[in-house]
Amino acid sequence: MPSTPQLSPQEEQEKLLEEAFNVVKTQSFQMKRCLDKGKLMDGLKHASTMLGELRTSMLSPKSYYELYMAISDELRHLELYLVDEFQKGRKVADLYELVQYAGNIVPRLYLLITVGVVYIKANELSRKDILKDLVEMCRGVQHPLRGLFLRNYLLQCTKNALPDCETEANPGEYEVGTVYDSVDFIQLNFSEMNKLWVRMQHQGHSRDKEKRERERQELRILVGTNLVRLSQLECIDMEKYKKLVLPGVLEQAVSCRDAISQEYLMECVIQVFPDEFHLATLSPFLRACADLHPSVNVKNIIIALIDRLAQFAQNEEGSGIPPDIKLFDIFSQQIAQIIQNRPDMPPDDIVSLQVALINLAIKCYPDKIDYVDKVLETTEEIFNRLNLDHLEHGSPVSKELMRLMKIPIDIYNNILTVLKLQHFGPLFEYFDFHSRKVMSCYLVTNALENETHIPTQEQVDSLLNIINVLVQDQNDQQEDQDDPEDFAEEQGLMGRFIHLLMSDDLNQQYLILNMARKHFGNGGDKRIKYTLPPIVFAAYKLAFRYKHHKDEDENWEKKCQKIFQFCHQTIGALIKAEQADIPLRLFLQGALAAGEIDFENHETVAYEFMSQAFSLYEDEISDSKAQLAAITLIIATLEKMSCFGEENHEPLRTQCALAGSKLLKKPDQCRGVSICSHLFWSGKISATGNEMKDGKRVSDCLKKGVKIGNQCMDTSVQVQLFVELLNQYIYYYEKGCDQTTVQVLNQLISKIKETIPTLEANEETEQIHKHFQNTLEHLQLRKNNPDNVGPSYAELVL
Amino acid sequence: MLVLVLGDLHIPHRSNNMPSRFKKLLVPGKIQHILCTGNLCTKDSFDYLKTLASDVHVVRGDFDDNLNYPEQKVVTVGQFRIGLCHGHQVVPWGDTESLSIVQRQLDVDILISGHTHKFDAFEHENKFYINPGSATGAYNALESDVIPSFVILDIQQSTVVAYVYKLINEDVKVERIEYKKN
Amino acid sequence: MSFFGFGQSADVDIVLDGQETRKTAEIKTEDGKKERHYLYYDGETVSGKVNVTLKKPGSKLEHQGIKIEFIGQIELYYDRGNHHEFTSLVKELARPGELAQNTNYSFEFQQVEKPYESYTGANVRLRYFLRVTVVKRLSDVVKEQDIIVHTLSQYPDMNSSIKMEVGIEDCLHIEFEYNKSKYHLKDVIVGKIYFLLVRIKIRHMEIQIIKRESTGTGPNTFNENETIAKYEIMDGAPVRGESIPIRLFLSGYELTPTMRDINKKFSVRYYLNLVLVDEEERRYFKQQEIIIFRKADKGKKSTGYKQSRAMQQHPTRPSPSSPGQQKPPQEEQEQATANSQADEKEHNSKEDE
Repeated sequence: MPSTPQLSPQEEQEKLLEEAFNVVKTQSFQMKRCLDKGKLMDGLKHASTMLGELRTSMLSPKSYYELYMAISDELRHLELYLVDEFQKGRKVADLYELVQYAGNIVPRLYLLITVGVVYIKANELSRKDILKDLVEMCRGVQHPLRGLFLRNYLLQCTKNALPDCETEANPGEYEVGTVYDSVDFIQLNFSEMNKLWVRMQHQGHSRDKEKRERERQELRILVGTNLVRLSQLECIDMEKYKKLVLPGVLEQAVSCRDAISQEYLMECVIQVFPDEFHLATLSPFLRACADLHPSVNVKNIIIALIDRLAQFAQNEEGSGIPPDIKLFDIFSQQIAQIIQNRPDMPPDDIVSLQVALINLAIKCYPDKIDYVDKVLETTEEIFNRLNLDHLEHGSPVSKELMRLMKIPIDIYNNILTVLKLQHFGPLFEYFDFHSRKVMSCYLVTNALENETHIPTQEQVDSLLNIINVLVQDQNDQQEDQDDPEDFAEEQGLMGRFIHLLMSDDLNQQYLILNMARKHFGNGGDKRIKYTLPPIVFAAYKLAFRYKHHKDEDENWEKKCQKIFQFCHQTIGALIKAEQADIPLRLFLQGALAAGEIDFENHETVAYEFMSQAFSLYEDEISDSKAQLAAITLIIATLEKMSCFGEENHEPLRTQCALAGSKLLKKPDQCRGVSICSHLFWSGKISATGNEMKDGKRVSDCLKKGVKIGNQCMDTSVQVQLFVELLNQYIYYYEKGCDQTTVQVLNQLISKIKETIPTLEANEETEQIHKHFQNTLEHLQLRKNNPDNVGPSYAELVL
Repeated sequence: MLVLVLGDLHIPHRSNNMPSRFKKLLVPGKIQHILCTGNLCTKDSFDYLKTLASDVHVVRGDFDDNLNYPEQKVVTVGQFRIGLCHGHQVVPWGDTESLSIVQRQLDVDILISGHTHKFDAFEHENKFYINPGSATGAYNALESDVIPSFVILDIQQSTVVAYVYKLINEDVKVERIEYKKN
Repeated sequence: MSFFGFGQSADVDIVLDGQETRKTAEIKTEDGKKERHYLYYDGETVSGKVNVTLKKPGSKLEHQGIKIEFIGQIELYYDRGNHHEFTSLVKELARPGELAQNTNYSFEFQQVEKPYESYTGANVRLRYFLRVTVVKRLSDVVKEQDIIVHTLSQYPDMNSSIKMEVGIEDCLHIEFEYNKSKYHLKDVIVGKIYFLLVRIKIRHMEIQIIKRESTGTGPNTFNENETIAKYEIMDGAPVRGESIPIRLFLSGYELTPTMRDINKKFSVRYYLNLVLVDEEERRYFKQQEIIIFRKADKGKKSTGYKQSRAMQQHPTRPSPSSPGQQKPPQEEQEQATANSQADEKEHNSKEDE
């Protein structure tokens, strides 16, 4: 014999299977030939030989399944032939006995089942007795794989033949049987199959355990089909399910003491039977869960059940959970029992169960917040009992707890409802620093997405206590663990959150802001930069609201005063944190606000805020670019304000002019004074309410600008400044300022025209040139289209 | 070519978010350029704009602490030179003549500025001026009733159509303004 | 039948009364072929006619007398010379004289006793036949005709079940039960095997029917065992608590009634042999004798009757433990030691074909 290469297990299987298929092919061909010729006994012999292939022990479950399928296909042929013969009236007497002469049990029982079903279909004999006989006789096959498939064949063949009526339909000689007989039949088959399935686990080497478990999982559907069949019996109503069906199934599941089987069977029960049945049998089902093998993942089973019932409760067509079924209480108690029964249950599994419970509470009893709270309380108790604390971020239990706590957030989409849960906040304490932060961000983000306003200071207080990790430094915080960008993002979130702290009631709003300031004020220098400005703006807004409702509140002016004091202090806190830019701008914004709200003391307040801005400008801002920006902003702000009397306006504008002219760099000085000119033109004094229109001072400013411009060494900068000044002159000329004349314009234009050609050609020069050209074009346009009212450009030399 | 023009979000100082009605309108992939008048205030807001279009131009507002944003910027889109400037440094704020000085200086066809939190768009001496207002409707001491707004420019050859989106009583209203370059 | 080809000769044949309606039965011949003969029962009259037909018409047949014998005999194959006739009846049909023409004679053995059943075995044969002899000077004309006798038994009054617990200590312990101890030839053996303890890995279990034919007596007894049936009743390894049904139809096999000490010459006995084979090919077996008898036919049975017979089952004994549950081993041990007196053997060799 030529040496054959060693076959791989898979090749080996393929080879064996092919050989078996060949036999099946030959024998089934012979069988059909004999049947065609009416030689029944010979046909049966071939069928039996073909069935002999199923006696093999060499095939893997997968290959055996393929062989089984091929053979059961061929048996269909035999069955159809026999049914046909019976219908033609050619009854084969003793056939049920004859097939039992076969010496080997596996072929014999397949034939017996095939013939038995033919008798049933032909309405010969007592269907009830045949079924009972078949299911009993199958006991002879104790080999797990062969037995499972044999019994599966029994189940498949009898699929549409099971009696399904309450009372005996044919009380004569041949009893059809009732649904009770069907239940007995299936349950016996089920328990036998389950035993065989469980037995597989204990076969062979322990080193093949994994493979065996995998194979068992592949075969589980065979066992589950029994339950499917039970569920298909129409006569099984709630009562029968409760008294007859479920107890049998549970007894088998519990007593087999096999984890794989128990897990599968329990889930199978959940999946195949209707929700109404589950509702009526919760206690026995859950009690059985408590009795399962310790390695069974009871959690998954219960979660599967809860998910189904929760879905059922939400199903609009369904009748919902009947009021007499205390779904939550039952689950709550039974889960507690299960946890108690399983001291080794991992904490994350315990929490997973609570997750399921909370889902149930929320989906089935959406209005019952106390149910959700109860779950949280239970969880807290469990953590206490287990002495769990500072759950490490990313650990399974921490993840599960997060999942648990996110549920009310996600479902209610209203953190005010979440706040009503007494045990929500306390559970935060079981997280570590990182997890608390993640959860807090989650909570805040939810509030932002849903625009949930927090309308009382008490709620603000409790909420900020819960998310304290985002508000203040923590004891368990690790130094510098934050990425600056993450920190900015997180604090930005908090800043946004402050806008949700909002009440329709103005006084309440004031209290809220105080509460917020109290919390955020302790946030430390890094945080307050993000959190205090929103509080300040919220306060300014509140002041405006008081103004709008001044008719309703006689004390509004005092309250506004207090608000500005509050803002003043708050900005002060920022200054202490060595901020300058932001406080300066906040003061300016405060000045603007105070200027607009004409409460009693508003001019004083506005002046105070302006002077604070100046102090900051003088004391804290040193960068020249920042200085120019700041003074520009101060001037622009003052330009807009109309609350100051002359005695306040005068020092302010003078101060601006002075500051402008004191800037370090000449170009900055030039621009500073030039901008300042607006204060003298469109600046307003409260007494008159009119613009100052002080052409003299405007002209002084611009002249000063030209003078500083002349002092610039860099010609291109000089020309640039001149072009800018030219535009300023044009501005005032067109506004009708007497002190600016066409002559001045002409002088500047000719000065620029002289200088521009001397400039080195570059991009910058090009820009200046463009600016100048555009300016001239503007003038040209004005000259060509003279206004009736405006000043005349007639004398302009272009 | 669609250009989104917006600014003065003031998140988190004065507002917590863009109105969701606006966010729903602004879907990624439709807009080619974004011109922002500033006061984004945080990187978050900038990142959000980045999700809408990759080409984002921002100038610095008075509450932006990002020193990398320029005070002014010129962006060329098609045949148009567009100037961008927040406007807090243009005195008096929102003044047409002052703005036209900036227009001349930047040599642009369109000048976009913000700061006033009030939408405005007009033609002046053949140039187009746009103020998109505040996209969040952020508080402004000088503007008692701030209406959230932004602008989308549809630029085709020498024509710009500005679509103004305003959120009035929870409804988005759109106006159309056309500008043709000479 | 002339050896020499001269002289008158005659053909003899026997025509039994009621031959057309009489039932026939099959029996094996020594060489294994099957023959069919007329069937008689004990005490039945055997009567008929003997026809003598002359081969040469016109010529006379001289004879010393014509007789017919009814013989029941036992032939032991190892002792061919000696046929033990247990019945031998003779009737004279004609006194010595001459036959001038074809002649027929009536005969009748009235209510003849036929105590045993016709049988063809491995070493012994029990047969009944009629023999006509035309006695002649040189060579007789002889004609034999076999008949078959079936002995009928009444359904036994006492027919208790066979029930027994057997075991090998700490290894295997079973209880088996066959519903009866006496079965008729077309009967069904119904029973069950209940596993009390299983410590070996059983591969399968079968029931065999063993026929034991004993010939001779005393030290010269010669036993011939034949496995008539091998019937697999279980595939795979059961666990403790399993109950395996048995249903074996005897009609499928060639059986005879049990015969005990027939004329002190031979016996045919039947045994049920329960065989368990483990994965190492070790065989464990237990034999029980059963009595097989022939039951009087009660006419055509209805299909229904037959079918309910086809589904006959032994009542299931209530299981002592929940299904599938594995009890701790020490419990098993107690039970096993209490019942280990039986005669199991264990050997690796093949038992028989």
